[in-house]
Amino acid sequence: MIAENTQTQMRKGILEYCVLLIISRGEIYASDIIAELKSAKLLVVEGTLYPLLTRLKNNGLLSYNWVESTSGPPRKYYTLTPEGTAMLSQLDGTWQELSFAIAKSKNQTAL
Amino acid sequence: MKKTLNINIGNSIIHIEEDAFELLTSYLIEVKQHFGKSADDFEIVSDIENRIAEMFTEILQTQQKQVIEVADVQVVIATMGSVRDFEEQSEEEADERPENIHSPFTERRIYRDTDEAMVAGVCSGLSHYLQLDVSVLRIIALFTVLLGGSGLIAYLILWISIPVAATRSEKMAMKGEAVNLQGFKRNFEKELSNLKGNFRNANDHLQPFMKHSKSFIAEFIEVLGRFMQGTGKTIFKIIAILIIIIGSLILLGTIILLAAVIGFWDTGATQVFPFSMIDGSYFTTFILALFIVIAIPLLSLILFSIRVAFNSYKSNKMVAYGLLLIWLCGLAVSIFYVAKTSNQFKEEAEFTQTIPLKSYPLYTLSIDRSKFFSKEDSLHYRLNTADYNGKIIQNDLDGPFTLPRNVSIRIEKSENSVPSLVESYGSQGVTFEVALDHAKNIQYDFLQQDSVLRFSPELHLKRNLNWRAQRIELVLKVPVGTRLRIDRDLQRYLQDNSLWDCDDENNKDGLYHGVMTTDGLTCQSAN
Repeated sequence: MIAENTQTQMRKGILEYCVLLIISRGEIYASDIIAELKSAKLLVVEGTLYPLLTRLKNNGLLSYNWVESTSGPPRKYYTLTPEGTAMLSQLDGTWQELSFAIAKSKNQTAL
Repeated sequence: MKKTLNINIGNSIIHIEEDAFELLTSYLIEVKQHFGKSADDFEIVSDIENRIAEMFTEILQTQQKQVIEVADVQVVIATMGSVRDFEEQSEEEADERPENIHSPFTERRIYRDTDEAMVAGVCSGLSHYLQLDVSVLRIIALFTVLLGGSGLIAYLILWISIPVAATRSEKMAMKGEAVNLQGFKRNFEKELSNLKGNFRNANDHLQPFMKHSKSFIAEFIEVLGRFMQGTGKTIFKIIAILIIIIGSLILLGTIILLAAVIGFWDTGATQVFPFSMIDGSYFTTFILALFIVIAIPLLSLILFSIRVAFNSYKSNKMVAYGLLLIWLCGLAVSIFYVAKTSNQFKEEAEFTQTIPLKSYPLYTLSIDRSKFFSKEDSLHYRLNTADYNGKIIQNDLDGPFTLPRNVSIRIEKSENSVPSLVESYGSQGVTFEVALDHAKNIQYDFLQQDSVLRFSPELHLKRNLNWRAQRIELVLKVPVGTRLRIDRDLQRYLQDNSLWDCDDENNKDGLYHGVMTTDGLTCQSAN
């Protein structure tokens, strides 16, 4: 249970980081985000992504446009706002620190 | 064959099978409940709905299908993830969620269970709600219906007020299973395994929406129809057998009565009240016709009951029409003689005679119950005329065939200070002359023995004639100030009820004490 909790916590932060990374590459549709996250084995079920996207959007990190679709209803295409880009660069720094911390920790335990 | 629905999800029109729709609905309800806390509820849910719509469209296109099935919905839910998966994602939320969402049993809601119904599913529905054994409730219901029928009214009220459990989620709520995805799956799987053994039920679930929209009246008639074929049939058979037994006894009784009335023709059945109206010339015919009118419907009822009780649907039409014809003939004859007899009451005649009484300051009025003997009787029984009032045989006035009251007595004050008894003889007849003749035929016994006035309880006919409403009205006129002691037996012949108000003290000796005043007869206190 404790392990699960930690895993969830870790995954949660990283998921958010990855979503921002994927969107930063250009306008993208939610299903495509899901497909990428699935191939990266970071996401198990799709339902978890929507609350995350909504929260990021509400925090002003994301915005979206409705784009007509050839098959079916119009789709939401997400982009990063300037705040989102700033946040992403912050997270980049954090990730550097984290990976350094992990690498350091692992090396020291190995010694 | 399965029923399908058209749904609009994420602005797409999707054909979906009904059970798949129910699965999807319960999933979406659960999702909505989960996100219900945040203000972004609507947006997240509509994102999810849009995505589901998209997945459905993909499934339909890639698999070249027309309709979404349960398996497709299950695939979509698996990809989208259950609420439990969402909770893992945000564990602070998970802490807040109450435990009972995932407990298999939740608060029960009351519905009627038509799947296990005897009549309309009220008892089985209640048994789910109260978690009692259904047979206990049914026994209670049956008892209250049989004892005064209050249960029947209660049942009807419950029937009207409690909705039927039509959809699967309602059935689950009725049985206290949580209406969420886990509960739904469990219920669905259980039902599938039941379906394999019981194919009849499949039809029930194809039309829950029809059941839903049915009015109470339509449902009542349908349930009644089913009841007649099932439980009701047994009850009707029992009733039919009771009718056969009771009806046969009544028929037998009627036949015996007929034989008795006709058999005792010579020995005076015609003098017994209801028959004494009927003229001797057509007595037998009339009685036979009456018998036919009564006995044939009784016989038909018994024959019908036999058919109901023993499931024989063969009915002999010849016999039926024959019985109907005989009955109609009997009815016609009966009506003819009823008319003829009632014609005998058309005219009315009355004559009056006054008997002067010896003057006394106090009279005692009594009913003479000694049987009336004519002179011929006295000779026959070798009675001495001196013993005429010796109360030899008491008259029985309370038999089953007593005549209508034909003697009435009124007590008035005398205008000329002379006591007297005014006797008015009256009768009916086909003409005035006949009626007058009937009235003259009346004999009434009244006797004054000093201050004691003896009245006979009934009138007699000098010649034996039919009953034509012969009657006698007696008016006793006494001067003001005359005191009266009135036999309690006489009270029922008295027209004037002023003595009824007399208190019990007044008639300690079994006599009413009255006195004639200028305002009529009043009570006299005993002192």
